[in-house]
Amino acid sequence: MINAFLVFNGQGQPRLTKFYTQLDTSIQQRLISEIFTLVSNRPPGSCNFLPLPPLLAASGTSHSASEPHNDVPSLVTYRNYATLYFIIISTSTESPLALIDLIQVYVEALDRLFENVCELDLIFNFETLHTTLGEMIIGGVVIETNLDRIVSGVRAQGTVAKRPVNESRSTGLGAGLGMGGNFVWHGR
Amino acid sequence: MFEKSLYDLIRGLRNHKGNEKEYIQNCLKECRLEIRGQDMDVKATALLKLIYLEMVGHDMSWASFHVLEVMSSPKYHQKRVGYLGAVQTFRPDTEVLMLATNLLKKDLAATTPTIISLPIAALPHIITPSLALSTLADLLPRLGHSHPAIRKKTIVTLYRLALVYPETLRAAWPKIKERLMDKGEDPSVTAAIVNVICELGWRRPNDFLPLAPRLFELLVDGGNNWMAIKLIKLFATLTPLEPRLVRKLLPPLTDLIRTTPAMSLLYECINGIIQGGILGDGEDFAASEEIASLCVSKLRGMIMMNSDANLKYVALLAFNRIVVTHPFLVAQQEDVIMECIDSEDITIRIKALDLVQGMVNSDNLPSIVSRLMRQLRASSSSLAHQKSLQMADPETDSSDEAGPEASRRGKAQDHAPPLPEDYTIDVIGRVLNMCSQNNYANLVDFDWYIDVLTQLVRIAPVSRRKDFDSDSSNSSTHVTTDIAEKIGNDLRNVAVKVKVIRLAAVRAAELIISQLNSESSSSSHPVVSGALKPVAWIAGEYAFQLTSPNDTLGQLLHLIPRIEHPEILTTCLQAVIKLFAHIAGDGQAPWISERKSAISLLMFRIIHVLEPLALHPYLEVQERGVEFIELLKLTAEAATGQAPSTDDVHQDPPLLLTQAIPSLFNGWELNSVARAAQLNVPTPAGLDLDEPIHPNLNVLLAQADSLMLPASDDDEFETYYHQKPLATSITNEPAINRLAEVVEDVSGSYQQAGEESYLDADIIARRKAERLERNRDDPFYIHTPGRSGGASTPIHNILEKENGPGLDIDAIPIMKLDLESLSAGNLGNGMATEKQPPKPKTRQRIVVAADETLSGSGLSTPRNYESENNSDSFTRSKAKKLKASLLQVDSSHLRDLSLDSSRPDDDFAHERQQRDEAEMAQAMKEVQRLRLEMQRANERIQVAQGVPADGIVVKKKKTKKPKLDEGEVSAVKVKKKKKTATATATEGGEGSAAAEPEAVAAVKTKKKKAKRLLQLDDPGAVESQ
Repeated sequence: MINAFLVFNGQGQPRLTKFYTQLDTSIQQRLISEIFTLVSNRPPGSCNFLPLPPLLAASGTSHSASEPHNDVPSLVTYRNYATLYFIIISTSTESPLALIDLIQVYVEALDRLFENVCELDLIFNFETLHTTLGEMIIGGVVIETNLDRIVSGVRAQGTVAKRPVNESRSTGLGAGLGMGGNFVWHGR
Repeated sequence: MFEKSLYDLIRGLRNHKGNEKEYIQNCLKECRLEIRGQDMDVKATALLKLIYLEMVGHDMSWASFHVLEVMSSPKYHQKRVGYLGAVQTFRPDTEVLMLATNLLKKDLAATTPTIISLPIAALPHIITPSLALSTLADLLPRLGHSHPAIRKKTIVTLYRLALVYPETLRAAWPKIKERLMDKGEDPSVTAAIVNVICELGWRRPNDFLPLAPRLFELLVDGGNNWMAIKLIKLFATLTPLEPRLVRKLLPPLTDLIRTTPAMSLLYECINGIIQGGILGDGEDFAASEEIASLCVSKLRGMIMMNSDANLKYVALLAFNRIVVTHPFLVAQQEDVIMECIDSEDITIRIKALDLVQGMVNSDNLPSIVSRLMRQLRASSSSLAHQKSLQMADPETDSSDEAGPEASRRGKAQDHAPPLPEDYTIDVIGRVLNMCSQNNYANLVDFDWYIDVLTQLVRIAPVSRRKDFDSDSSNSSTHVTTDIAEKIGNDLRNVAVKVKVIRLAAVRAAELIISQLNSESSSSSHPVVSGALKPVAWIAGEYAFQLTSPNDTLGQLLHLIPRIEHPEILTTCLQAVIKLFAHIAGDGQAPWISERKSAISLLMFRIIHVLEPLALHPYLEVQERGVEFIELLKLTAEAATGQAPSTDDVHQDPPLLLTQAIPSLFNGWELNSVARAAQLNVPTPAGLDLDEPIHPNLNVLLAQADSLMLPASDDDEFETYYHQKPLATSITNEPAINRLAEVVEDVSGSYQQAGEESYLDADIIARRKAERLERNRDDPFYIHTPGRSGGASTPIHNILEKENGPGLDIDAIPIMKLDLESLSAGNLGNGMATEKQPPKPKTRQRIVVAADETLSGSGLSTPRNYESENNSDSFTRSKAKKLKASLLQVDSSHLRDLSLDSSRPDDDFAHERQQRDEAEMAQAMKEVQRLRLEMQRANERIQVAQGVPADGIVVKKKKTKKPKLDEGEVSAVKVKKKKKTATATATEGGEGSAAAEPEAVAAVKTKKKKAKRLLQLDDPGAVESQ
């Protein structure tokens, strides 16, 4: 199952945190910063999976090959779109490649909802981020991967706010999240 | 007053770059005020702002009650904010959760689907067993809701309920199953059910076997790739239980592998085949071989495909699974896997390392280890390079060669950036494990291994021991984390276990000691390398094999004052005395005046070094120090008393020197002992371990406590206990390393695989000299010209000499080819047709002593090859005992629940449940009885207080209050008693259950259940008050 879904930007500022188990705020922040240091030090062309952050590795899974335990979070998948990092922490029972797709679905859904989404939209509408995620994942289990159903599910719960008019797009955050650039497989 | 909206807050944050902290504190203050107000809109906005700030790391647990208020708002958009607050900020210890139950039940029964889905989505985040129990009845009907979105969310939420409250499944499963079987069901609901079943599947695969036909149907004609992936994962857990499934599954899986455009699905198919044990299934050999080769070739393709690192990673993951069952299949891919070890991407590297550890054998061990060593060396030299650059600037005038040389090298070499320290430690640990696993089964060339260990000691990062000042009891229990010490321990293990190689190991120890000595002699910083401890032990124990015991002793004496860690110090002390005993204890040598003065000098030197240790704050060091000082003083006295023998008068050396001290150490030879051997020592018949050692132990202890110790004004104690140890700097590499690299550039560049690339020059030189020595008489070894004349002898000369001129061809013996064993070997290699397996090297006949253990009882661990210092498994078992991982959702309860009522173990469960209930009833009865007793006691107190019978009516109003108070007190008491009562009840249950070994798990759940009921009771009690 999925243990956490995180979004933060290139400076490590969280934009969305969703933990499917209850965790202290301070530990959440520590985990985010640990993952951020891992994710920001990736050489170009490396894979979308991270080694376990110390906080998770400390709980005895460093020898995961010798004793696989299906309950323990052991897979950290990330994807980078423009200024944002999308992270999924999951157990080994999830399919790694499918999780990469799942992030893509999420971003595409946001793109449809906000029409050419950018980081600003996510900053000012973090409630919508939660709603969208809630249409895809409940309690750590994926319930929907179909883009149309996700979008309509979010729209059914109220109108999605547009970004504030006076907040211009030229604030250096880049236009759009530049999706689909290095997209190789089309799962789902 | 205008309140900020969330939008204002975020804009404000962006406009206050630099002093955000202050701004946030102000905002938090405002929010505190706003959330306490009456206006629901303001409240909700304040909550939204708080949730935003919580995301950035500002705790809002204090607002949990206000979250509840907003949750209960009638307006949807406010309610939504409230639920979001609950999801994001409720923690297990949030108390208001008790009050939320009714609200949740109400919202679950709402008519608008948007409102219903709020509690459904929130429940998984805040679920507790008691909450599960009370909401289950409201959640179940939602499975039949007209909206598919509600149905699929409900299914998942029920699953999360089941994780904390397994009984949920008993009620929910039939309905979920019905939904799954319904072919007209919305596909996304079916997909959600499959997801949940997949989650449940690996915990209780047996329960889902009957569903196989329907699941198979979904796999074949479902267009949803995500669902297909989950189904394949599910089938992978089912096939081991039902082998007939394999034949059914293979065609569609092979089909999918060949046709699917989705790489994720392709990969999961392969993965499913691996995990399901479909590979190499004995039944249908040809087919399984075909699928195996298909899978492995696809995986190989994934690694080879240079463009996509993700595929590399997942392929390594898959190989990691195959290697457990089919190591030979993976070993064929060694070439591509080894490339991954050198990948830039650390994730891929670690996975490849995992894999390599599994596929190591005696043939590929040297090449694998040398690859890793090259990595480590490159990283450590670039680290040293950085360091020397940093140090070069201030030191240019003091040391005239370091500065210019370092800058010259800086231009010359362009090394990869140094590896992170924990990775380096990990790699070293793996190298040690690979070489030492199965009692060094994979190791052929021990000389090489000792060289590797020597090199590793130089590379190993210096550990930062922080627990210097923990007291003795503490530091002895703590597991060594110092990697240098592990390396040293392995060297010691080799020295103890492999007698043939002991000489080389001792030489290596000698080298390490002298190196440690030389590299720290220039500077005054303390010695921190943990390797010194085992290495000093080797030098002491096998002193007779040292090239120069005198030098080693001198070096140790030189090192001792600078050793900080007490445990290293104790070992070194012991080694010093052992060395001394060896040097001085020769009974045959004549006791002449030179010897007398040399030995007296040596003794005074040792005493001089040990003297400060007599005041060492660490008791073990102090004790040994004092003992040895006294012993040596005594011996010195004896030695001065004994006049030296002259030409005419023969004098024996003092007996204390030749007999007494050596006999302290010359006992049995020490062998490695299996860790569990101690357990096998039978307890003596007369020994009662429960008997107190001293009848009045407590009194003694109390006396000891009250004893006043004279305050010591010794400032060494002060410094030891109150001053932190100085930050230790990483030891410099010796100058010879730098020299070696220059040489490497010239000679080693064409030969990548050479040892030169990872071993220091001095190690190699020593090695070569040794080899030359060893092979002097070996006719197959071609000596370097000039060393001996034998090399130039033409071969036919020898032949002629040996055989004589007339060569009889029939006399040449014909070797019989053992075809049977050959073919058997090929079979084992599977499909290694295109690649000839390398000829096994003739294995050096080296006897590795196994650990000693006491036979006769089964207590000894099967893994007795792990000698006591392979602390790896020890730490692992320790880690297992640690609390569950962060983020982990514990699902172990589920394993005890059976869905299929016809199962025999269900009877057991039923029985257990009955027992549980009986127990609870008994506990409740006990509580009732106690409550009654308390009540009666209360009444008695009232009577005893002498309230006049006629006064009751008059004073009724006055007595009412205290009575109430007392009632409250008694209620509290009852609650307490209730807890103890149930506790004793469960304890009793444990006692009875201990008889059945299987019932341990049952007891656990029982305990939980008891607790749960307690929790259920508590709110009731609160309300009744």
